[in-house]
Amino acid sequence: MIIAKAMAVLRKDMLTAIRYRNGFVFGVVAPALQFATFYYLSRAVGPQFRPEGMPYFSFLIVGTGFYTFLLAGIHSFLRTVQESQQTGTLEVLMTTATSPATLLSLSALSAFASGIVQLLLYFCAGVLIFGVPHVNVIGCLSVFLFSVLISAAIGLFAAGLQIAIHKGSAVLWLLGSTAWLMAGTMFPVAALPARLRIVSGLMPFTHSLTAMRLALFQSANSQALIREIGILALFLLVLMPASVIFFSQMVRRARQFGTLSFY
Amino acid sequence: MNSVVLESVQKIFRPGWLFPRATRQDTYALKGISLDVSPGEVLGFLGPNGSGKSTTLKLISTLLLPDRGRVLVNGFDTRSDAQAVKRQVGSALASERSFFPRLTARENLEFFAVLEDLPRREVASRVMAVLCDVSLEDAADKHAMKLSSGMHQRLGIARALLKSPSVLLLDEPTRSLDPTATSNFWKLIRRLSNSGITILLATHNFAEAAAVCDRAAILQRGELIAVPRLNDLSVEALRDFYLDVTGEQTSPLDWPEGVPA
Repeated sequence: MIIAKAMAVLRKDMLTAIRYRNGFVFGVVAPALQFATFYYLSRAVGPQFRPEGMPYFSFLIVGTGFYTFLLAGIHSFLRTVQESQQTGTLEVLMTTATSPATLLSLSALSAFASGIVQLLLYFCAGVLIFGVPHVNVIGCLSVFLFSVLISAAIGLFAAGLQIAIHKGSAVLWLLGSTAWLMAGTMFPVAALPARLRIVSGLMPFTHSLTAMRLALFQSANSQALIREIGILALFLLVLMPASVIFFSQMVRRARQFGTLSFY
Repeated sequence: MNSVVLESVQKIFRPGWLFPRATRQDTYALKGISLDVSPGEVLGFLGPNGSGKSTTLKLISTLLLPDRGRVLVNGFDTRSDAQAVKRQVGSALASERSFFPRLTARENLEFFAVLEDLPRREVASRVMAVLCDVSLEDAADKHAMKLSSGMHQRLGIARALLKSPSVLLLDEPTRSLDPTATSNFWKLIRRLSNSGITILLATHNFAEAAAVCDRAAILQRGELIAVPRLNDLSVEALRDFYLDVTGEQTSPLDWPEGVPA
């Protein structure tokens, strides 16, 4: 039944996306432009800059591509609640037989699914330019899975905040900007001052990006990769149950206060 | 067993630190009301704006939790067994904006049908059946954003019927319908009631209450003041009874919708 629900959500989002024709076209063109930007930026920086021992272009593609993918997933949780509040569907969805947390997670599936297409395009373009890297496939898949689940947990927090204070987007914007600065998306974490490096280490995105780069480009360094995956597992262990409890509590409080559809 | 039971239900809307509200004072929406509704009964909540009609329906639908007392649907408590309650209650409480505008009426219903755990092979036929119930079969492939207010209203009722509920909640179900659609809708209510579905509807409209309801729960400022049987009661008699028990000197101007002239 959960697969049927996932398919229904994907179909609904796909039909909606296609029928907003202009938005659909922009959504396809924008990543190509972003890719070109990174390519020329890395050329401008020059081949001598090799953060963490890899070409800057590869560093950028993984950093921004994977981070954008994860952030889009998180945003989708928030967006689902926001749009449902604005369109008036939230109360209807809350009275269906599907639990709110399940519904949100399924809605995020669409965002992750469309993000995967973009991510694969990035990867293929990178392969065309630089050739096939020695990828640690199992490591890569593990990092991907843990990172997506951690993003889902953060997304549930964001959705809970949106229901609670109706301004979840502001909190998420702050989180996203902080992570953009400190997680090693466009430059290595080593460039940050010591205190900010500590903060950076407390962010799961930092470990997602580091681990993904290790799995894609430094497959020989399995010790470091295992350590990073372990840290991601720890984040997941704490964040997932906490986010489910937080979201459930926020929905419950909104039912108590009668503010479920407020925005 | 009664279909719906309300036991000393109190609902207070409070300004909370985490949930900003315009009002700084507690609002007593329901002041300890008790009510039993039998299977297959049609009960109308009658009262002016702010009397607690919609709040009562939202409590039964699990969208709200009571502050005191409890709400039971077929024996399930809305607080502790919300999922079980949701499986049995169909609600058309939302505004007409509550559909995905770029999806057709059929696509919208198919989406909600899956969320209601309908088996995949039954979705298409069930969707068509409920569209026929509300006479929307010809608009099945129209985008929701192109439907009129009345069509949205009927689509909302079709959505509530998708799960074949044992309890149906309707909030002012005929407010955007023309006289023909209203008359057809009243026939549908009677038909659903005869099939055993318990129906609770909030209305401003004495004519509607007299036409379809077995009983009317008259609410005034969050209090349940009378629950008369409406067997063969005329619209005028119902209005006179209402004025008598509420002590209001209401005029048609106080009832912007649906008051018989």
